[in-house]
Amino acid sequence: MAEVVLKNIKKVYPYVSGEHKKSKKKTKEEPDKKKVNLQITDEGVVAVQEFNLDIADKEFIVLVGPSGCGKSTTLRMIAGLEEITSGELLIDGKIVNSVAPKDRDIAMVFQNYALYPHMTVYNNMAFSLKLKHLPKEEIDKKVREAAEILDITQYLDRKPKALSGGQRQRVAIGRAIVRAPKVMLMDEPLSNLDAKLRNEMRAEIIKLRERIDTTFIYVTHDQTEAMTLGDRIVIMRDGYIQQIGTPQDVFNHPANLFVAGFIGMPVMNFFDAKLEREGSKYFVLLGGQKIELSQEKEARLLANDVQSQEITLGVRPEHTDLSDSGIKATVDVSEMMGSSVHLHVTAEGKDVIMIVPTVDMNSIPAMGDKIYFNFVGKVAHIFSKETEKNLEF
Amino acid sequence: MISDNTKGKVKLTVLRIIVYAILAFLVFLCLFFFYLMIVNSSRSNAQLASGFTLLPKENFFTNLKNAWNDASINIPRGMLNSLIIALATAVLTTYFSALTAYGIHAYDFKGKRLVFTFIMAVMMIPAQVSALGFVQMMNELDLTNNYIPLIIPGIAAPVVFFYMKQYMESVLPLDLIAAARIDGSGEFHTFNFIVLPLLKPAIAVQMIFSFVSSWNNYFIPALLLDKAELKTVPIMIAQLRSADYSKFDMGKVYMFILLAILPVLITYILLSKSIIKGVTAGSVKG
Repeated sequence: MAEVVLKNIKKVYPYVSGEHKKSKKKTKEEPDKKKVNLQITDEGVVAVQEFNLDIADKEFIVLVGPSGCGKSTTLRMIAGLEEITSGELLIDGKIVNSVAPKDRDIAMVFQNYALYPHMTVYNNMAFSLKLKHLPKEEIDKKVREAAEILDITQYLDRKPKALSGGQRQRVAIGRAIVRAPKVMLMDEPLSNLDAKLRNEMRAEIIKLRERIDTTFIYVTHDQTEAMTLGDRIVIMRDGYIQQIGTPQDVFNHPANLFVAGFIGMPVMNFFDAKLEREGSKYFVLLGGQKIELSQEKEARLLANDVQSQEITLGVRPEHTDLSDSGIKATVDVSEMMGSSVHLHVTAEGKDVIMIVPTVDMNSIPAMGDKIYFNFVGKVAHIFSKETEKNLEF
Repeated sequence: MISDNTKGKVKLTVLRIIVYAILAFLVFLCLFFFYLMIVNSSRSNAQLASGFTLLPKENFFTNLKNAWNDASINIPRGMLNSLIIALATAVLTTYFSALTAYGIHAYDFKGKRLVFTFIMAVMMIPAQVSALGFVQMMNELDLTNNYIPLIIPGIAAPVVFFYMKQYMESVLPLDLIAAARIDGSGEFHTFNFIVLPLLKPAIAVQMIFSFVSSWNNYFIPALLLDKAELKTVPIMIAQLRSADYSKFDMGKVYMFILLAILPVLITYILLSKSIIKGVTAGSVKG
């Protein structure tokens, strides 16, 4: 149990000999490319920068983002497996930038389990305790306790290759919890499991968290995992933090277009629209419709002194409703999901997804049908076309 | 009318016969010369001089006695010498090559590519090119008639290093090393207790190859070893072959060659499982 603080952390991978020349040559040939990819700089490839985060004791933090966004690098820096280029990392109030991984009192669960294949489950779990020269009885007690928690007691004598993926991941978690670490680091621990097992293990991790009561830092690219597990979510892109907040917060108030598109499944629909200000009132003009915004949203826009402008309007699929009038659309694909139908429609020149409940199957439009849909102003997200930022913030 | 199924069966049988015939021929190629050596070791010098035969003769034990009791060579001593050198070379070569490969595989450091290229370049230089300078240097260091120059330089074996590195790439994920580090294992501890056990098949293969090449090595030992009590098996075989006409006994030579390959055969038989594991490693998902 410990507080973890990351202060202005930066990670740069310097070029190895030859690579720099190549990349320089490339940028000369394609000068625009350098502007697009901000991560390639003269000092090397920047994986993480300006990373500031205070993680409270016993908090469950999830780092989420697409591949290459720097989330695993950040986790590995916390673990001590990657050197920190600049910035400060504090665990329990102490700067640990140069402290060896074994002395940071952390444990880590890897995506590919990283179990020692030649050792039995028992020895895998006991390995770190043996290295600490703990008495045999104590090691035995701790290993059996952890095995009990994870329901793997019956596999203690087996080797990893004789276990299924889910069982292996339990062993990997067991190996981490026997150490009673101050901070538990998990690097996409469920990515190698099939969908059903992933759901089961997700629930197991929630239960585990209640039992072992320590600080968790969890990395995933799966926004569902992030939403269900985290007390707070850190959304990353190209090495930068995009937003930090509770799952509810990032879902309801995405800070920018990227977060809006990344969080939520199916993804948020985006339209080219216009924001109209009439005194202290705000409207969105879309497809000939004038949509009134909620008072709460208006107050925020007013506070930011937002003027009339072209915007990107975001509406979540679950917040759209079929109606007799409104925005005109054509149904392209209808996907039956069980509890709801996902309608893929074309409206205002964009592909739009709508979630329609299956209460009355007769009212669900078929492919090719012309329909109308609507949404209320309080669910609309308004993003600047220029900066892609949410204009409410 | 013949059904498609019957046609398929006939085709399969014919194919199998062809495949087995080819395999049988290859097995024959492999084993025939061993058989011939055993046959020849049972023939006297006169019988050997009379020509080729496929059937063994009655002089096996005579040849064994003659070779064993030959005044000019000491077979048990020679075999012991070869065994000491070959075993030490095999163990040290595989251990240090694996250690070097681990260094290149697991660590990121400046000049890593250069080091790798340099080691690979060394592979291209035949031992004969540097032999003269090497012998001179050993003379100056007063290391002739000593096993050190036969064992220590062998440790730097680029081929073994390369094999180990390729093997590591297929069986050793870097996360495993990271996990060991977090668990509190030191770098050498990780290598000795986590990495080495995973490399067992590769180590077995390379130990055999190193052992055999050291056991059969004639060139460098012949240049460095003069004393009779230090001589190795290949030198002694050469000595028997170059004996003068009155003492020359080809039966003895064949017998000694047979004795000389026995340790190699035994090693192969004992480690054959590991060899198969080693050469097929990484070919399928384990």
